[in-house]
Amino acid sequence: MQIIRYLVIKEFRQIFRDHMMARIIILIPFVQLLILGYAVNTDLKNVKTAIVDQDHTPQSRQLIKSMYASDLFLPAKSDVTPDNLEDRLGSDQVDLILWIPRGYAEAQSRHQSAQVGVFLDGRNSSIAGRAGGYTLGILRQENQRLLENSTLNASAFSLPIGRITATTRFFYNPDLTSRDYMIPGIVALIVTIITAFLTGMAVVKEKEVGTLEQLMVTPITPLQLIAGKTIPFLILGMIELTFATLFAVLYFKLPFTGSILLLFLGALLYIMVTLSVGVFASAVSRTQQQAMFTVWFFLVYGILTSGFFYPLENMPAFVQYLTYINPLRYFLPILRGLFLKGVGFFDIWDEYAALLTLGILFFSAAVIRFKKTVE
Amino acid sequence: MSKPESNNHIAVKAEKLTRRFGDFTAVNSIDLQVQKGEIFGFLGANGAGKTTAIRMLCGLLRPSEGEAWIEGLPVSKSAEKIKRRIGYMSQKFSLYNDLKVWENLEFYGGIYGLSKSEIESASDIMLARLQLAEYRNTMTVELPLGFKQRLALGCAIPHNPGIILLDEPTSGVDPIARRKFWDLIYELAESGTTIFVTTHYMDEAEYCSRVSIMVHGKIVALDTPRELKKQQKVTTMQDVFLKLVES
Ligand SMILES: Nc1ncnc2c1ncn2[C@@H]1O[C@H](COP(=O)(O)OP(=O)(O)OP(=O)(O)O)[C@@H](O)[C@H]1O
Ligand SMILES: [Mg+2]
Repeated sequence: MQIIRYLVIKEFRQIFRDHMMARIIILIPFVQLLILGYAVNTDLKNVKTAIVDQDHTPQSRQLIKSMYASDLFLPAKSDVTPDNLEDRLGSDQVDLILWIPRGYAEAQSRHQSAQVGVFLDGRNSSIAGRAGGYTLGILRQENQRLLENSTLNASAFSLPIGRITATTRFFYNPDLTSRDYMIPGIVALIVTIITAFLTGMAVVKEKEVGTLEQLMVTPITPLQLIAGKTIPFLILGMIELTFATLFAVLYFKLPFTGSILLLFLGALLYIMVTLSVGVFASAVSRTQQQAMFTVWFFLVYGILTSGFFYPLENMPAFVQYLTYINPLRYFLPILRGLFLKGVGFFDIWDEYAALLTLGILFFSAAVIRFKKTVE
Repeated sequence: MSKPESNNHIAVKAEKLTRRFGDFTAVNSIDLQVQKGEIFGFLGANGAGKTTAIRMLCGLLRPSEGEAWIEGLPVSKSAEKIKRRIGYMSQKFSLYNDLKVWENLEFYGGIYGLSKSEIESASDIMLARLQLAEYRNTMTVELPLGFKQRLALGCAIPHNPGIILLDEPTSGVDPIARRKFWDLIYELAESGTTIFVTTHYMDEAEYCSRVSIMVHGKIVALDTPRELKKQQKVTTMQDVFLKLVES
């Protein structure tokens, strides 16, 4: 135990004495999140909009006027009917369709909620997400205006009774891989890089410099050495996770709807796997470059088969089998679930179980391979 | 052949110790015995196989054939016990350049299981002995080579081992630094520590109790410097070495 403590102290001293390293650790989450945030945060303008008005009343025309009031929504030259909605969205002539069905005005006059439909092309996810958001905003304003004008509802402001109910549907990309959806993924990547890369490099560095040989003539056991080399990066990984989460919530205004405890538990299990990858890479490599490439290989595999960019369901069957041993495949849904969907433990317990299993497997493999190297 | 356990005055022993790398035999069936308290010089030209042999003695490398014993314990079976009895300073000596001088000492002390207070007192004594007291807070990377070599020695022996194996501890430094290092070696030997040291400097060979000379993986001579000079009918170890290595 004491040996491990001295190893950890030494590692931290080295990390923070290396200013480059310290900077990387502190800056990586912010820079990566910022780059991503702004890369996806394209200006919203001229969204090609088609409005299917089947009501033909002053009320429906009022809504159309509100929609086109800003230069956000541009009338699209297209013949959209309720039957060819999906076709038109797929044809690139239209980004957004607002459907005002017959009975819109009548429902309002009877103090009922009027139904409208908003349809979006989800392939350009960030535009779709934000255009949908703006449309709902306009509908909300309409709602408020209607409530204020209503003689029946003098105190309607405080009453959350809406006069318009919108049903929003995204075609082609129903999960809406938007910024909100990407950011939890970036958080996972940051944690991966800090833990897997830095562990791998830190162990191989001792090989390169020759200090590993010196350690081998001391009474240190391989397990103690592994513990001494991984604990610092486990701690750093957790700190990074906290930073990145705070940044996502405070700066990008992501909701964090799940439990913090579940977040840290998931991260702990996930980091157990990534640290094992780092240790394994360091065992099979002689130089820091080799270790980098080995970790890089795992990272690329991990990202491609995690559902980070492509939905897993769309992958060929044999690739799907490959995804089952990918820890990111389980950690990503945990993060997305906790950030965006407010999931509880029983919604995602199987992800935790999978991560735990992988953690045990990867760690055992890393320890066995590492022992072989140092003996 | 006598049992190694009964020879408890023998610190290091090798029998038919051999190491091959593929077809190449780096160490070819060497035999040697080092008495406790001796300063044993392990000489040989570049590539003779000194480092390979010394690594087998420490348990860092498995022999292809033969066996080595440290204080009667076979290295192949008692690697863990042996680690507490030897101190090893590798040719590529192993300090953390990005740690301060005292941090290196503290780390190795901690690794050898010394308590915090033991480390503190031992480090102070060690720094004084190594004549590094004023460099306590210096970053190791900034130390001159000769000072680094002394620090590396200090880091290899926080557990006061009975046997110290040094692989070219003084290569590349000036005569004053070498003198200082050898003063330390004498000090340690006087207190009963066995020293096993490889070197290229023939004046250093003169200081040894006994020396062996290795050529192409084989030990071709092993005796006191005086006896070797007599055998080869020359006056310096330099000439002994040249005669044996060139023949
Ligand atoms: N791991 C290895 N794989 C292959 N060959 C090796 C290995 N280690 C050493 N050798 C070879 O064994 C021979 C002896 O090397 P060794 O390092 O023991 O020599 P040395 O006497 O210590 O030389 P020097 O004075 O240069 O330190 C050299 O020819 C070297 O190339
Ligand atoms: Mg050598």
